[in-house]
Amino acid sequence: MGRVGWVGWSAPFAAVIVAVAFAALSRATGTARPYVADVLLAGLEAFVPLAVGLVAVTTIARDVGRELHLALPRAYLVTLGRRVAVVAASGAVASIAFWLALVVTDWWSGPGPATATLVWLAPTLALTGLALLVATVSRSVVVATTTVAAMWIGQQIYAASMAASAWGRPFLLFLTSRVGVVDGWLTNRLVLSLIGLAMVTATAGLIRRRLLDEEER
Amino acid sequence: MIRYEFLMQIRKRSLWISTAVLAVAMVVLQGDRGPRYVPDGTPARIVMTNWAVLFGVLLPLGFGMVLADRLVRDRRLGVGRVLDSLPTGPRTLVAGKYVGSVAATAVAGLATMLVAAGFEFAARRDPALFGWAFVAFALVMLPGLLFVGAFAVVTPMLITAPLFRILFVGYWFWGNMLSPLFLPSLTGTLLTPIGDYAASWLLGETALYAGVDGILPWLRPEPGATAAAVSAGILLLFALIVVLLVGPPLYRRQQRAA
Repeated sequence: MGRVGWVGWSAPFAAVIVAVAFAALSRATGTARPYVADVLLAGLEAFVPLAVGLVAVTTIARDVGRELHLALPRAYLVTLGRRVAVVAASGAVASIAFWLALVVTDWWSGPGPATATLVWLAPTLALTGLALLVATVSRSVVVATTTVAAMWIGQQIYAASMAASAWGRPFLLFLTSRVGVVDGWLTNRLVLSLIGLAMVTATAGLIRRRLLDEEER
Repeated sequence: MIRYEFLMQIRKRSLWISTAVLAVAMVVLQGDRGPRYVPDGTPARIVMTNWAVLFGVLLPLGFGMVLADRLVRDRRLGVGRVLDSLPTGPRTLVAGKYVGSVAATAVAGLATMLVAAGFEFAARRDPALFGWAFVAFALVMLPGLLFVGAFAVVTPMLITAPLFRILFVGYWFWGNMLSPLFLPSLTGTLLTPIGDYAASWLLGETALYAGVDGILPWLRPEPGATAAAVSAGILLLFALIVVLLVGPPLYRRQQRAA
């Protein structure tokens, strides 16, 4: 927890606060209620996953005590996994708390309780997996965070096109907030989750051979 | 200071990798309204402005990411004490690091435009394309880069580089590409660093959202030469304030805490 730092565990909560601030601004300027509800939904589906993905990179990228740690009995991979787990747990707590708050205040516009978790879990797994994999392969925080940022904004820009095409819909990170719970929603969530898990697994396999370098590389 | 910072930044592989990845992504994803499909015989000014608009969508993201650690790394690398011993104050130091690193980052942006001009020259045989690549870069992309660069260099000293990167991505979409007709946003205002006003002036039509109705209507004049100049002036003013007034005390505080 200490090594992750205050940014690591607080970033998902900051993302929630930003979403609420946007929604309040929208409401104050007369935006219709359904659009405001979409902003709040986007906070869960887009903002929190972005925060978790970007913070996860820096959590494992910089470690001045790496040489020392490699001499310890505990596997370095386990330590890195625990750091990412702290960020992921923080993202999960922030997401569940935000979802509960939206349900209680009648601002929730997503699917029912049985599948609501997939609204944030699927894009979080996908973006975090992408971030960790690119960071490990490129050994660069800049390249990894740029890739995640480009993926996030690119999908926001092309969301309508992706949702309209049969090949693009399963990979759209923001299907719930940009289109809704439509045909293929569950497939989309499962595909994103599986891709994310596959990338995390690939990262675990690669990280021993390609330990991350300094951020300024 | 400027020279060394420039050399450090321009030799940074991640600057060139991220610029290349983003540029290629935009070329591939541009769609049939992109600059690659501008008809033959179109003036070089229009062709290269369209390329500047296209690259301006994503390239600043990479620029912001790569500039975000330029000052905070001094503390992490332990060179802050050495820099403190130089006969320069925090203001000169922050300004020097800003100018050097942003200049090197601008070289990557300009190189991208020149590559696009070379690609267009092969098909259109118009040498003016290279001249307009410079002009479009200077008017459309550079003011935004100076604005983004100022915040990227200075803000991480206050909120850390990871948190800056998260907020920057959200801001870039909200403040530049999210239509103000959908939700209240800064998109289409004079404060938009994507270069919308300059591009609209060069194209003779609205490039993205410049001047569309939305919040802060007094910041949404009709696009034109004056509006483009005012927009660039405001962006530069913000950059100067951040670098010269906000940056030095933050840097001093960071060095004290080291």
